[in-house]
Amino acid sequence: MNSQEILLCLRSLDGGCLEKLLLHCASALESNDVTLAQQVMWVLNNVASSVGDPNQRLTSWFLRALISRASRVCPTAMNIDGSSTIQRRLMSVTELAGYVDLIPWHRFGFCASNSAILKAIQGFPRVHILDFSITHCMQWPTLIDALSKRPEGPPTLRITVPSSRPPVPPLLNVSTEEVGLRLGNFAKSRDVPFEFHVFDKSPSSTAPDEILCKGTPSFHFDSLLGHLNPSMLNLRDDEALVINCQHWLHYLYDEKKGSPQGASLRDIFINRIKALNPRIIVVVDEDSDLSASSLTSRITTCFNYLWIPFDALETFLPKDSSQRIEYESDIGHKIENIISYEGFQRIERLESCIKLSQRWKNAGCTSIPFSEETVKEVRTLLDEHAGGWGMKREGDMLVLTWKGHNSVFATTWVPNGLED
Amino acid sequence: MPVDLDNSSTASGEASVSSSGNQSQPPKPTAKKKRNLPGMPDPDAEVISLSPKTLMATNRFVCEICNKGFQRDQNLQLHRRGHNLPWKLRQRSSKEVKKRVYVCPEPSCVHHDPSRALGDLTGIKKHFCRKHGEKKWKCDKCSKKYAVQSDWKAHSKICGTREYKCDCGTLFSRRDSFITHRAFCDALAEESARAQTQPSANPTSEPNSNAQAVDSSATAPPLPPATAPAPAPAPAPPAAPRPSTGQISSVLPTKSPVLPENPQPIVEEAPASATGLNGSCSSTTSSSSNGNTNCSVFASLFASSTASASLQTPQTPAFTDLIRAMARPDPPTELARPTATEPISLCLSTNHGSSLFGTSGQDRRQYAAPPQPAMSATALLQKAAQMGAAATNASLLRGFGIVSSSSSSGQQDGLHWSQRQVEPENSSVPSGLGLAHCDGGSGLKELMMGTPSVFGPKQTTLDFLGLGMAAGGSPSSGLSALITSIGGGLDVAAAAAAASYGGGGEFSGKDIGRNS
Repeated sequence: MNSQEILLCLRSLDGGCLEKLLLHCASALESNDVTLAQQVMWVLNNVASSVGDPNQRLTSWFLRALISRASRVCPTAMNIDGSSTIQRRLMSVTELAGYVDLIPWHRFGFCASNSAILKAIQGFPRVHILDFSITHCMQWPTLIDALSKRPEGPPTLRITVPSSRPPVPPLLNVSTEEVGLRLGNFAKSRDVPFEFHVFDKSPSSTAPDEILCKGTPSFHFDSLLGHLNPSMLNLRDDEALVINCQHWLHYLYDEKKGSPQGASLRDIFINRIKALNPRIIVVVDEDSDLSASSLTSRITTCFNYLWIPFDALETFLPKDSSQRIEYESDIGHKIENIISYEGFQRIERLESCIKLSQRWKNAGCTSIPFSEETVKEVRTLLDEHAGGWGMKREGDMLVLTWKGHNSVFATTWVPNGLED
Repeated sequence: MPVDLDNSSTASGEASVSSSGNQSQPPKPTAKKKRNLPGMPDPDAEVISLSPKTLMATNRFVCEICNKGFQRDQNLQLHRRGHNLPWKLRQRSSKEVKKRVYVCPEPSCVHHDPSRALGDLTGIKKHFCRKHGEKKWKCDKCSKKYAVQSDWKAHSKICGTREYKCDCGTLFSRRDSFITHRAFCDALAEESARAQTQPSANPTSEPNSNAQAVDSSATAPPLPPATAPAPAPAPAPPAAPRPSTGQISSVLPTKSPVLPENPQPIVEEAPASATGLNGSCSSTTSSSSNGNTNCSVFASLFASSTASASLQTPQTPAFTDLIRAMARPDPPTELARPTATEPISLCLSTNHGSSLFGTSGQDRRQYAAPPQPAMSATALLQKAAQMGAAATNASLLRGFGIVSSSSSSGQQDGLHWSQRQVEPENSSVPSGLGLAHCDGGSGLKELMMGTPSVFGPKQTTLDFLGLGMAAGGSPSSGLSALITSIGGGLDVAAAAAAASYGGGGEFSGKDIGRNS
């Protein structure tokens, strides 16, 4: 068998095979088996391609993450600061607007949430949204638009965001304040009274898009937690408070620190939120369980989850599309964090929707089902995307599916006793 | 009543197993439906792989009256009722129907893997047509082509029917995309800035959600009179991208020529022979301590500035290149976006690969039989080892743009490397491969012991080890078999000392090694 034939073979490796190769590579690295690692990497190197087919692309980011992990074990003169090796890319606001609509990964959450929020704030003249998300307020224009058409007239709308956010893509080339300004402009053009606030601008919090801090525990979330009370947030009694958590909660550290309460950051956050007595809490996140700490289980789970966006992008964008490559590179960023970091630096701590839901229940919240109207809206949205996207209900949850596989879930909650 | 599912017009209807079905079903029973973990589909499910012909076949069931074709017999029977013909519907058997999942027969396809199987027959058929079939359906209005008729229909319904246009000139077919864009677009900012000075701005009608073909730009309803205090107008120029503060981390070189230049300094740095490091690396006895040689092992793998000496294999420079390339801070000017031709070092082979093989594997429009039978990954690893032994190794790597070790002992290194694996201390091969003292965490142990959680209920059609081993084979056989399979292949080059490897009784290393 000559080299050409071998390489041709490599191109026809299926996902299961690739996954096992990745696992073997990881094991080899963990056990310092240089020879095996080199062999596996040679094979993987000849399969991986960031401009190939979805499996090749996915593999390329995994391989990169593994190499990144290995080089972190023994820092060389090159990567001495331990930061990510993937190029960080800043987008303009309009680019980001297009980005969130490439696939329904985010828009699904926006649509379900906004619909549920609209219903929850019916009749309220003042609304205050506490927005925890990574998509820089891309969710709100459609809500503002819908509010402007409310039969009883739009409410006064206030949106408050934290000043710091997890240092993950998508990244903007403007400040949060600038985003707020534009949003305000838009609200004005729709005659919706609007205020925008950024909280937690303590001296210790730095610019939102800084590089991943090495070894700083749960960075900035401590400060953020300290601000989660009515006075710091300037809550007003006559407002309907809405809490919006989109692809956010999984960045909160989920292991129990040596804190007095003995609770994890994530649980503390959830409890503080509930204590604010909101009208509705919206929780949207990725449905994948990365809580098991072993590397091999993370590789397996991650490989069998993040294939979804790669597969979806393949259906309608060409292999050399820069939009596609950039989107995939952002996922590669996530993969790198999952595979190549440990401890506090590993911030992608995805949790299954079941587990996350249990946390809310433990905190004393009840889930609310989505209305038929919401379901209909989401279906209409998905009809406009590639044919593989679907949706299903699981209990009170809505789950976005790709070819039947779970991707993103959406839930809504109220503190116990407030459900109507 | 479901009639002709495959001609349904909702493109998303087929994909999810339970999406459209749920609404018409009675409320779910109280027993919680078991959630499938990703990567571990229902272990009881039957994995079915249909032939391409079956998957592409349409309308095999034809009505004798009107010649209308159906993909499924059930649908034909229901249709026959309309003709007042006798019909027969197979009743669902009372015993539990075994859950079936379908895989794609195309080996390189993502859905070939059972853990990515699709839950329904219609789904896999549509997938196959879409992905591997010819795109026969073309939209009249735009250039999009579709392989599945229902996709084409769904698209045609909306193509060109709704268009929203922003003042900046961008067109949108979806209203929510349009609204989101508009909110942040500079055009709005400019317009509101203008509106501050001109209270009587021209109102243009905004398309409402029922609008059909709208191509006028959508602006706000007439602005309130200028007496309302105006907030500061939005900054006029779009915010300039922050200079280079975002481009902090290192990035790969975006031009392939950069890469081959790297190995030279690395190789030159290397002292002619570094004994100590070589000694500590894999194939020797387990007595090599784990403590402070850990770092040096990786130093050898990833070429630190000093100890790149232990370039035991011609391949090491390649990985050195990888790491160096990845870790090297980006030259300040190198902010180019990735392009199609960018060979991120991980895909060194691909661009060249495509030139070597033409585009045969690339275009999947027409389904074609795979050129090679699928090769087990173990065999591939063996080949990787053999490549090191073969003289072609150096030229192969060169062909991929990896300048192989320019040190004089290029080929010799290859032989040297492979021989290293069969050093006299073969009895310590298990430990030589680093398997005995796996303090590297439980991950490796699980792997080697064949713990079901890792290898288990995956129903892999392609067994990694080629051993036909079911999940959770006895630990010792798993371990020794792995050693044998890896060790056996390496045996090919050095015919001697083939004797006692690992002790795997079931499979002879030689057989696996000769499996090509």
